[in-house]
Amino acid sequence: MNRMAQGLILVLLGAAALGTTLFSELYLNYVQSAFRPFLIAAGGVLVVLGGAVIATDLRAAARSEEGTGDAAACGHGDGHGAESGPRVAWLLLLPVISVFVVAPPALGAYTAAAQGASSAPDDRVDLSEYRDDPFAEAGDGPVELEMREFVSRAWTDEERTMADRTIELTGFTVPNPEGEGWYLARLEMACCAADAVVNRVLITDEPVPEEDTWWRVRGTWEEPEGDLQQVRDHRFTVEEMEAVQDPPDPYE
Amino acid sequence: MSDSPPGPPRTPGSSLGDSLVADWEDRGDELPPSDWGRPRGPRRAATVWLFAILISGMAAANLWLAGGLEHQAFLAWATVFTAISFQALPFLVFGVALSAALTAFVPASFYRRVIPRNPMAAVPVAGLSGAVLPGCECASVPIAGGLIKRGIAPAAALTFLLAAPAINPVVLVATAVAFPGRPEMWAARLLASLGAAVVVGWIWARFGKSDWLRPPRAAHAPGASKAEVFRDSMVHDLIHAGGFLVVGAIAAATLNVAVPRAWVNGVAELPVVGVLVLALLAILLSICSEADAFVAASLNAFSPTAQLAFMVVGPMVDLKLIALQGGTFGWGFVRRFVPLTLAATLLFTFLIGGLLL
Repeated sequence: MNRMAQGLILVLLGAAALGTTLFSELYLNYVQSAFRPFLIAAGGVLVVLGGAVIATDLRAAARSEEGTGDAAACGHGDGHGAESGPRVAWLLLLPVISVFVVAPPALGAYTAAAQGASSAPDDRVDLSEYRDDPFAEAGDGPVELEMREFVSRAWTDEERTMADRTIELTGFTVPNPEGEGWYLARLEMACCAADAVVNRVLITDEPVPEEDTWWRVRGTWEEPEGDLQQVRDHRFTVEEMEAVQDPPDPYE
Repeated sequence: MSDSPPGPPRTPGSSLGDSLVADWEDRGDELPPSDWGRPRGPRRAATVWLFAILISGMAAANLWLAGGLEHQAFLAWATVFTAISFQALPFLVFGVALSAALTAFVPASFYRRVIPRNPMAAVPVAGLSGAVLPGCECASVPIAGGLIKRGIAPAAALTFLLAAPAINPVVLVATAVAFPGRPEMWAARLLASLGAAVVVGWIWARFGKSDWLRPPRAAHAPGASKAEVFRDSMVHDLIHAGGFLVVGAIAAATLNVAVPRAWVNGVAELPVVGVLVLALLAILLSICSEADAFVAASLNAFSPTAQLAFMVVGPMVDLKLIALQGGTFGWGFVRRFVPLTLAATLLFTFLIGGLLL
């Protein structure tokens, strides 16, 4: 791989990082929104660096075409830089092709179905994370909860604050291959899509909507009998549901 | 640029030096030759054309596919692959920039002044100085070679080689970001990696022989300006490390999508086997140390000790690193150094994991 190819690859890679952050919201399909400034900065550095490599290479070419440089001077011109890159560096084009050609969508029902049921957290979830008590704030009205908060409350809140409250959840449809009903699911992401974990509730009293469509449902938690930690599926009784456009950030 | 001067076809991938020499041998008696002074013109033009075709091809493919891709498994794979590449990219770029700045602007004599002459005392100092010098594995191999050439004890330089990619601030911050709310993960990573690096250094200082190491070659041409060294070292590290990073992202995305969760979870629940499986995975995936914490965090079915093994073994022993070390120091070195390092990293993973996690 010569210097020109190295420079062009760096520019393209930088353009992929800039294009998905500055000119679209595509990056939200892959990483957390907090990554935006870092991706922009990295993309900028790559474009500038690649540009510098290309410019140097072209200058060296112009110098030798003018005939001002003899073979030795030309050798020095790219001497230390003329090391050819390894072939494996061509793979850097794959992320570029991925975002510019395929533009993969956010993970959805396929991944949620493949992951199957999550297991109850081993005290890992700390409810103090949600320090503002949404139930006190909402008074008697409906409470809007993130899916992950709903699920962790359903597994760990021994006081069962959610019982008999009207709750709003937003998520996408995942069919239930094993039995009745369907899942409303949401993927929780710590950092990037590779670490996405599925949170879901089982809905049995509504017909199955089309797979991967987004819904906001309003209803109540079906309080399980016995130990909360033993629950496999959190059941949810729907009162109303309405279709929503894909939320701008598909992950929680 | 497109008028190609006559000459023998050049093999792609050969360096300028090779093609100059080849041309030289094939020259007739005609002096000066007609293509004197512009030996690389045709290859450069061909590269530009190649990229022009590639970019048009991408635009055409984008229009042609336009929402027509319905293969769920492939799309999930592409999303995970892009995600791993993208979240690693800022860390890679800034790690490489910092390492290039230190290569270009901090003279090697500085390290010689700070590091003691006695190898036994130099080893821990080298290990700790790894904590302030950011860079991924690919950067630390040439730096270690340079240190040996400038008179640092090999054992100390090797400790630095092991410690620098594992415990530098960029890597530790990345680890803290990947495991939010779990500071014990990066603390355990720091302790286990530093411990393993120092122990390997001491063993090498006590038993190592100097002829096991092939002396490294010069990394930069003498006479290059600091800005040129900075730019070239950054491009070099990006191009060398970036490709292997993509290999790692491909492998990780494939494992993520293709391997049934139940199978992984089955292995993950076995205490010792889970640790060994992730250590093996770290060796095979060869993920850059600035990004491996995120992959480790995504393997959340495994125990914290197994995730620690992934992050401790990966920066010190992996396929990419073995290839780099073999190229720099020779295979006689790799044969002895790699098993020693692997044993030390596993030992410290179990030790620190048992104590902290």
